[in-house]
Amino acid sequence: MDIKATVLDILNDLTGSDVSGAMDDNLFDSGIMDSMASVQLLLSLQSELGVNVPVSEFERSEWDTPNKIIAKVESLA
Amino acid sequence: MIENMITAIDQFATSEPDRIAYDDLGRTNTYGELKQRSDALAAHLDAMQLPAHAPILVYGGQTFDMMATFLGVVKSGHAYVPIDTHSPLERITTINEIAQPAAAIAVSALPTTLAETPVLTAENLRTIFDGPAVDYQVDHAVSGDDNYYIIFTSGTTGKPKGVQISHKNLLSYVNWMLSDDFALPAQPRALSQAPYSFDLSVMDWAPTLASGGTLVALPKTVTDNFKQLFETLPDMDLDVWVSTPSFMDICLLEPTFDAAHYPRLSRFLFCGEELTHATAQALHDRFPAARIFNTYGPTETTVAVTQVEITTEILADYPRLPIGYVKADTAISVVDDQLNPVPAGTEGEILISGPSMSKGYLNNPDKTAKAFITVDGQTVYRSGDLGVQLANGLIMYRGRTDFQIKLHGYRIELEEVNHYLSQEDHIQVGVAVPRYDRNHKVSQLIAWVVPSEHDFASELDLTKAIKDNLQGGDMMEYMIPQRFVYKDSLPMTPNGKVDIKSIIAEVNQ
Repeated sequence: MDIKATVLDILNDLTGSDVSGAMDDNLFDSGIMDSMASVQLLLSLQSELGVNVPVSEFERSEWDTPNKIIAKVESLA
Repeated sequence: MIENMITAIDQFATSEPDRIAYDDLGRTNTYGELKQRSDALAAHLDAMQLPAHAPILVYGGQTFDMMATFLGVVKSGHAYVPIDTHSPLERITTINEIAQPAAAIAVSALPTTLAETPVLTAENLRTIFDGPAVDYQVDHAVSGDDNYYIIFTSGTTGKPKGVQISHKNLLSYVNWMLSDDFALPAQPRALSQAPYSFDLSVMDWAPTLASGGTLVALPKTVTDNFKQLFETLPDMDLDVWVSTPSFMDICLLEPTFDAAHYPRLSRFLFCGEELTHATAQALHDRFPAARIFNTYGPTETTVAVTQVEITTEILADYPRLPIGYVKADTAISVVDDQLNPVPAGTEGEILISGPSMSKGYLNNPDKTAKAFITVDGQTVYRSGDLGVQLANGLIMYRGRTDFQIKLHGYRIELEEVNHYLSQEDHIQVGVAVPRYDRNHKVSQLIAWVVPSEHDFASELDLTKAIKDNLQGGDMMEYMIPQRFVYKDSLPMTPNGKVDIKSIIAEVNQ
């Protein structure tokens, strides 16, 4: 399964935005993501990729751009 | 039975001055300090000779000095208007215009000026608090029908409404919280997570301080970063939890959030939005010995007016949880659109009356007359909430009669969101609609927008520009739609209005 494509799909569904042209943009600073969207992201990663991210390990600064999210998921998959 | 909030809080300063009133991430302050600082501030406000009873804006975050400021303001006979630090600039100025306050107190530095309103700066406040102790006589404090606080909620036309809550309203509420209906532990350590501008916070600070407990603050900077949140929570040593169900959903993601790791946590109180069966069941499984309460109430009737303990039996009997039984001093009726009571088991609008009902909206007689109406010679509050009263007295929540929604506990008028959207530079016309999850809860606010002509390379850039403008404007962060969907035109009704119902149906199909 292509992790990058799946993560981008999840982000697209969460935010209504195609973020593939802005892979290093900070999603929280731009208001595209918030806390509740982070929760949805973690739940979607679990259901769609089987990746369990312990919420207590969710350091926002490590998850704030599409590229960082993909790298994180790849390291956990 | 508490007869006066101020006396109830102050008495602990006399009997046990070293008792801890506030715990801000390990930095503690005592009841003695609470009295000393609030007395000093009240004396200073008295010396300013402000117009009697005029409200005072108080701007700040979750800190002990906010609590001391609130108490000082009411001691000097004024109501306070709490404004959270996450409020956008224009909202602060709009509230200033509506409330016509006698003064504003910047517990945190104010990011804007306030026209003619005199401002006590954070530095002024520091000087007052650190000055010599004042022997203050509380002899003209807020009492009876005087306003104790005024909380601003979402309005339909971009004008927030200031709900006036009197000392009498607050006492009715607090005495109920301290009754056997909740059986709170004596002198609890209670979670203070909701911002003080959101009336859910009254559910934590008021009963806690009135009973000599400790407020344990959990600010947004911590809750926004889950890693920090779960490093902080275990050290808070809480026994009473107050939050929205949405915040609990975040906590339940962490497997160690359970009775084994939080053995002292014995009460969970929820308000602000629907408590779903799934959330309550998961929490009950994690904390089988703790008592979980669901509550319901509009800000206009002081925080909450119904409660029910969510027991194993309630979970087994009700796939959609009840909001509870009405408190003893309050009456709830369920009526049809002609305001005639409907039989038990029939859906209708919830009307509420009793001693915790507000006198109305500050400086807004039109909206007050619409919401606070006379039925059979008695003033009642039209909640706009749809409900059903069952034969056993339990009330079930069914939704809204209008376009008001709750998102993560925050009350939002969709018409207000639409008002801001249509004023944004890149938007020709835009409407916001809720997307519901399978538990009937709003999970997202989605904007359908016809954009103006623009040069943005992508829709993402357009969305960023719009969100950037909205964040710099009058809208609270929670009102800004999460998703923007761009359209060439919006569906219209035969009357020529945007067909919001069809858009709601489409985003929820």
